[in-house]
Amino acid sequence: MSFRSIDIDSLDEDILGQDELFVFSNGVEITPESAANNVKTKGIEVRNHLTRGDTTNALITAIENPPYGLHTIDAKDQNTTIVMEVLSSIKATDIPSLVKLLSREQQDILMKYIYRGMSSPDKHNNSTVLLNWHEKLTEVAGVGCIVRVITDRKTV
Amino acid sequence: MSPTEIHQLNFGPITAHAFNKDRTQVAVCPNNNEVQIYTKAGKGWNLIHTLAEVRIDWAPESNRLVTSSQDRNTYVWNFEPETNEWKPTLVLLRINRAATFVRWSPLENKFAVASGARVIAVCYFDEEHNWWTSKHLKNPIRSTVLSLDWHPNNVLLAAGSADFKARVFSAFIKGGVDQKPPPTAWGDKLPFNTICGEFSNGSGGWIHSVAFSPSGDALAFSGHDSAISIAYPGGAIQSVRLTSLPYLSLIWTSEKNIIAAGYDFTPVLFENTNEGW
Repeated sequence: MSFRSIDIDSLDEDILGQDELFVFSNGVEITPESAANNVKTKGIEVRNHLTRGDTTNALITAIENPPYGLHTIDAKDQNTTIVMEVLSSIKATDIPSLVKLLSREQQDILMKYIYRGMSSPDKHNNSTVLLNWHEKLTEVAGVGCIVRVITDRKTV
Repeated sequence: MSPTEIHQLNFGPITAHAFNKDRTQVAVCPNNNEVQIYTKAGKGWNLIHTLAEVRIDWAPESNRLVTSSQDRNTYVWNFEPETNEWKPTLVLLRINRAATFVRWSPLENKFAVASGARVIAVCYFDEEHNWWTSKHLKNPIRSTVLSLDWHPNNVLLAAGSADFKARVFSAFIKGGVDQKPPPTAWGDKLPFNTICGEFSNGSGGWIHSVAFSPSGDALAFSGHDSAISIAYPGGAIQSVRLTSLPYLSLIWTSEKNIIAAGYDFTPVLFENTNEGW
């Protein structure tokens, strides 16, 4: 099966690149630095909400405006950590009512973060929490939400 | 509503089908390199012909079949009543990847073949050589074209592609094939390969199906992101995110209604209320 390891893309002169499939929210790519700064301010805001016990706004702030981009890896990591923190600090009994509050777009983003969290168990080892969120979110947003997470190139 | 009729024609999957004008005959492809033509006989369907291809469209008025296949060939089949046979005519496609979709234009003097070669071949009949020849729509398609639909004016063509975009092209063929069309909402100057619209719903996914509304003033497309989007000339677009699995096929039944079918086993009706879809 050695042919499987051949990089056939290198033989194609006119290859379709990742960047061509990526639609930036307002047409321009955000720099990794400003994305990281945005996430930092977001983190502070989320923490303020959490200390006040306002979990609803903490969740919404955490998942709003994710640092989409091809090179914003650090910002994405930080944002995932923030979201995980919020998800694990919310009581399991509050989850069903919370996911119903979210808009369709917010539900999609939340699902992206749930999958992101599950994809790196070494960093975010709270699969019990994530599976619980996943179950409750799927009940509300359906499998369409999962399909969108898989197809969307705007990863978190 | 009339009850659903279920007919089992064969035991495998059916990969493509097309009905004739009065729905008394159907051409189906039983997941191989054949097309079988069945005619309705009372309650059942009888197999009357077998051709060799995989994608089918039936021109209702001129009663011609066009079939295209993954072996990069397309044939136009004419029925000859004298001999009771379907006769193929060669089509010069000039594509180097599989053909994925084929559709007759409303006037049936042209058809478009989508392909994995990032081109759409717009085909028309060349009297001189007695074959169908083609012109390629190429820019700015970046990936395999998965579906096509003709505007009612016989000139504009919509295409959905695996590069996550739905586009509206002009497929105007000079030299007697096409008359200059009246201005439409998509533009009034329409030389070949004019891009009249390029749409993406943002969250991406292959575009499985495109469909013009009956007037041609709106374009619906469904993507693999479980959303259907309705786009209007000038760039306005509305997306409906669904809780179900993606839709593969769309049909407009009126300016305000779309029927969608997909991986969910049931067709679904969408309606435009005054607030939106």
